[in-house]
Amino acid sequence: MANLPNNGMSRRDFLRTTSMMLAGGLIAACTPSSAPAAGGGSSAAPAAEGGTIQYWFGWGGNYAGVAWDTLKETETLKGILGDVTLETKGSSGGEPLLTAVAAGTPPEGASNTQYLDYMARGVLVPVGDWVDSSDTVKQEAYLEGTWKDAFDREGVMYGVPANEGYLRYGLVYNAEMVGEAGLDPDTPPETWEECLAWHEAITKFDDAGNLIQVGMDPFDAMGGQLAIQDGFYPAVSWNFSWFDSDAGTFNVDNEMMVQAFNTMGEFYKIVGPDNMAGMRQVEGNGMWGGSYNNRVQAMMIDGYWRPGGTYISQPEVGENTRITWAPVPTDRKGVKVQGYGGHYVIFFKDAPNTEKMFQVSEFLNSNEACDIIFSNSGFLPGLLGYLSTVDENIYPGLKFYFDSQDTADEWSSPARCPMTDFSRTQWNELRESVYRDEMTAEAAATEFQSRLESEWEALGI
Amino acid sequence: MAALTQKRRGFTSAQWRDLRTGLFFISPWLLGFFLWTFYPLFSSLYYSFHRYDLLRPAVWVGLKNYVEIFTKDPTFWQVAYNTVYFVGFGIPLGVIGAFLMATLLNTEIKGRSVFRTIFFFPAIVPAIVTAMVWQYLLNVQYGAINAFLQGAGLPVIPFIANPGLAKPSLILIHMWAQGNAMVIFLATLQDVPRSLYEAATVDGANAWHKFRNITIPMCTPVILFNLVIGFIYGFQNFTLPWLLTGGGPNNATEFYSLFLYRNAFIFFRMGKASALAWILFIVIVLFTILLFRSSRRWVYYGGE
Repeated sequence: MANLPNNGMSRRDFLRTTSMMLAGGLIAACTPSSAPAAGGGSSAAPAAEGGTIQYWFGWGGNYAGVAWDTLKETETLKGILGDVTLETKGSSGGEPLLTAVAAGTPPEGASNTQYLDYMARGVLVPVGDWVDSSDTVKQEAYLEGTWKDAFDREGVMYGVPANEGYLRYGLVYNAEMVGEAGLDPDTPPETWEECLAWHEAITKFDDAGNLIQVGMDPFDAMGGQLAIQDGFYPAVSWNFSWFDSDAGTFNVDNEMMVQAFNTMGEFYKIVGPDNMAGMRQVEGNGMWGGSYNNRVQAMMIDGYWRPGGTYISQPEVGENTRITWAPVPTDRKGVKVQGYGGHYVIFFKDAPNTEKMFQVSEFLNSNEACDIIFSNSGFLPGLLGYLSTVDENIYPGLKFYFDSQDTADEWSSPARCPMTDFSRTQWNELRESVYRDEMTAEAAATEFQSRLESEWEALGI
Repeated sequence: MAALTQKRRGFTSAQWRDLRTGLFFISPWLLGFFLWTFYPLFSSLYYSFHRYDLLRPAVWVGLKNYVEIFTKDPTFWQVAYNTVYFVGFGIPLGVIGAFLMATLLNTEIKGRSVFRTIFFFPAIVPAIVTAMVWQYLLNVQYGAINAFLQGAGLPVIPFIANPGLAKPSLILIHMWAQGNAMVIFLATLQDVPRSLYEAATVDGANAWHKFRNITIPMCTPVILFNLVIGFIYGFQNFTLPWLLTGGGPNNATEFYSLFLYRNAFIFFRMGKASALAWILFIVIVLFTILLFRSSRRWVYYGGE
């Protein structure tokens, strides 16, 4: 075997040199890149100088898109931000936010998320001092309930009301579909029983028994919610308090809850649970109010945003939208229920520039910002000053909510329960067990109570 | 004798240098392993004995999470049933389907490579696309299958809207996407010695005899492999049910991984989720051991 020519480098030397080069390369790759040179035309340049603040929210659609594109173009917001870049992230689910907070890299602000769950875990900045020195965020500027919602159950203020915060409940119906079913749109139902009669009259099947049109899904939109910002409609309609925030106790194992399980479940039994589930699985119908907008569903319980939301996306449906008082049990016929609720901006302790985010939240409370948000998404804030400037007749049905402000008999606010998604999941599961006849309403109410208490204990809040 | 002395003393300096160099070269992987696998693995064991929500310091609760899972959480048993159902029916059916498909595609038919491509194709389709395609096909109102039934004046089939049909529907989709297992089987089938079939023909065996006594035994090591991989996948089944049914209707497709994920990232129960993860780990390990133990009775290794 011929000797290899000696080129002055052994195998070991080669490996050593190569490894050193690789290590050097690795270190170089890990070194943060320097800021781009001024005038380099990079959009990252201002961010590198003034930093970036992030605002995450659960809404997508027009709010996340055109509304924020317009907001960012306003001179006011540009003036507030200066050389700071504002990054917004729409359709942000709870999981990315939780992991970002846990990792110590949360956004400066967030909305439409599990507000109270974060409040209860000490990761938010209390905003009392900022609010005290603010000219915009003042208690007297807001609806009573809107202001109250920004506090945790111990009375510490963690949120700045913004984006969306007007009234939550109304029975929304499509007058045209109602008329086609031979019903009188001018005498809408007041009770669940009357709603059920309309539901039966409007629901249509084809000759083979397949569902074509549904009268009312009582669990669509606000009817099915159990959320911090939206409340729990069975508790509003049957008039009971499901969570005592002072004592940290639950009250869902009661006769009213049993009635709610039975009464609301009856709507599904008429249509058939599989049919209703199938209707929801159709693209576009699964979204909040989607089947109403698609003219597949004629009635639902929803908030003030429905008139605008429907009119903007489906004008022909929006034109036929009418709204009346949300249904109550027969023994409470005539009681007009209405509710507060809404969203706010919360600020995370570990984020570096929360004070700037607070200024952005102040801007969101200006008439200029509210106008942009309302015209692009139909969202209204709980700001008395701005509400007085809104044309109540701009969308068919919107006036009902404005009128209800003075005519409602009973007002509710969402319970301050920092166990949001668990409670909602159990409510969803158990109501389905009832309308599928796998469990009695009485057993479901007892089980609901037991699960909530057990989870509450396990959370150690 | 010299070698023995060297062994007693341990490595020579040259061997130490080689070891260091070797370790240096694999250090990126080692670092990744310790940071992203080893540390999280044992952290989860630690957290499974704690009340931990990712945001507040962990509080020691002993076996409370485990006790809660087995005795207080009614959803857990439904989730366990769903998962066992999927693993018990879906995985063997998937393996059988893939094996039969591979057998068919191993025969001399026209356009064989086209068929092979078609049958493999579902395996490379991203889960999100799979979910959307099947959503359109199976939807109770506007799905292609039900549209056909409706057109014929027949009642629709609520594939993924009915609790009783949702799991079988997911198994059907699972069987559809068996391209990877099919390719592995195909390679194995092509490796079965022709001489065995020729000898069997001489002995008067028909096609069924050859399939039963030659093809299946020769493929048993790969059947075992696909079963093990399939069972592990089955226990961790997440993407498709999450996207297609979200665990519904009525929790019928709430599989173990969905339940675990929900507890960890939606209910703020990372401690309980860690306990769930360890229970799953133990179940998978036991199941795999059981499968390997049983393989002594039915797997044929030609080299033995």
